[in-house]
Amino acid sequence: MIDVEFRNISKTYNPGLFKKKVLAVDQLNLRIPQGQVFGLIGPNGAGKSTTIRMLLGLIRPSQGTILFRGAPLDITTMQHEVGYLPENPYLYDHLTLRELLAFCGTTSGLSRTVTTQRGDALLERLELTVAAKRPLRSFSKGMLQRAGICFALLHDPALVILDEPMSGLDPLGRKMVFDLVMELKERGKTIFFCSHILSDVERLCDRIGIMVGGRLVDEISAADFAQQLKATVALELDGCSAALRDRLNPLVEEIEAKNERHTVTLLPGNLYPVIELIREHGATVVSCQSAQVPLESHFFRVVKGVAQ
Amino acid sequence: MRNSVALAKITFLEGIRNRSLFGIALFSLFILGLNIAIAGFFMRDIGKVSVDMNMSALTFAGILLIFFVGLNLITKDIDKKTIQLVLSKPISRFEYIFGKYIGIVFFTLFSLTLLLAMSCVTLVVLMHFNADYFFDFSWINYFLAAFFVFVKFALLTAIVIFFSSIATSAFVALICSLSVYIVGVTIEDVIFYLRSEIAIQEKVVSASLERFLDVIAYLIPNFSVFDLTMEAAHGLLITPDRVLWSLLYASVYIALLLLAAAVIFARREFF
Repeated sequence: MIDVEFRNISKTYNPGLFKKKVLAVDQLNLRIPQGQVFGLIGPNGAGKSTTIRMLLGLIRPSQGTILFRGAPLDITTMQHEVGYLPENPYLYDHLTLRELLAFCGTTSGLSRTVTTQRGDALLERLELTVAAKRPLRSFSKGMLQRAGICFALLHDPALVILDEPMSGLDPLGRKMVFDLVMELKERGKTIFFCSHILSDVERLCDRIGIMVGGRLVDEISAADFAQQLKATVALELDGCSAALRDRLNPLVEEIEAKNERHTVTLLPGNLYPVIELIREHGATVVSCQSAQVPLESHFFRVVKGVAQ
Repeated sequence: MRNSVALAKITFLEGIRNRSLFGIALFSLFILGLNIAIAGFFMRDIGKVSVDMNMSALTFAGILLIFFVGLNLITKDIDKKTIQLVLSKPISRFEYIFGKYIGIVFFTLFSLTLLLAMSCVTLVVLMHFNADYFFDFSWINYFLAAFFVFVKFALLTAIVIFFSSIATSAFVALICSLSVYIVGVTIEDVIFYLRSEIAIQEKVVSASLERFLDVIAYLIPNFSVFDLTMEAAHGLLITPDRVLWSLLYASVYIALLLLAAAVIFARREFF
């Protein structure tokens, strides 16, 4: 079942008097099936946040239709089903996190007991229990981000929209949020995820869309992506003889000579036979590393292609 | 309704914990204290001057509360995009407007009640030392006058909400609301003067400007309706009719302003 569908969506807005109209989103067609993690990436100003805001009913599309579970978007239904974390959430300075969660529980129709139970679980999960009664203005950036996640997830939404959830988090916080998203994924939640941290997108998402200049220029599933992009491994060899190079040639993508050493680039699937050959010929592996960050290079290639 | 109450509650808490509230309270207490200190200079008019000063302190505090704290309680939501987070919850835009209004009104009521209690203490102290000069003083009139100060600010809050729903920045909302307040406070005197014989004889303003001022007088709420300071100071009779009509006048304006704000807000986009 398709949870969210953007059909031919465009959004133009007027930045002010005597200024040219801006086309923020252009002919967007996108389908997010239920239970899938969809990652939307793109440079700043690509239209990712505008897309999210249209889905939340905060702005209206200039053209096209948004469908939620097959029916035209009804904001009231959507509000009950969605949990939203905006980029850099600004929460009420003088409230405590407990009070904020109580507000969230009331507006989401939860009883006080359920609100407290779920709130406690989330606070513990995101390590905010100690800070729950402190005013939010005393929170660090990372704590505010985690507080925003609590606010988004308290009513156990079916669709979770996360706009830059890792922004401002330290490595521990990132891991915490990463694990939480993985858990939501395992529980079958539909997740719409925007991030500039491509390694996270790559690891978390089932499908990835690349948006540039308001257009969805590429959409790929994680499985296809792994095949298409041919993630490679680079081995730096010492004592790589001509005979070894001849034997390696059919198994590797590239052999490059550098000073006395050779760098051999190969697909991860060929690693085992290549290592066997290297051992047979008495050469030494000096270093081994992933030759490229697949999504990153793909992203750069796509964005550059659009720019040209 | 439950959503509006929940929003009103957090708006109230956010307002009441704002630090500028302490500054406003201190300033008002200073004026009230000053009242005790200088009342002796007015001899027979101690009672009248005290009531006048206390009402002025309440009014001034109310203006500061609305424009420095109340206005921020809604415009900050829009400026800092907290509204996107709030409206992602099952809360309609009308509920948002109504909840914010109720929250700010309760915040104003709470703050003014505290200040009113303080002002009562100053009056009790002054009455204790100058009982002879308070012979025409009426606590009922005093509380009614204070209540109408609150009604005035409930209406001003609706004006602030209305302009916040249109304006793209807090500053614009502030300027518009402040202008309406100033015009609303003075319009009755201006119209009274323009209709006086002297003004008619000397043709102070052109006919077209007079018509324009008539239109403004109908559009802008007349805040002097809620000014019962003179009645409280002189112990004059306040008729139930006046109380009821003034309340009805405020209620109609508040309802219309909130309705207009809700309609505009429902159409507004939050980038």
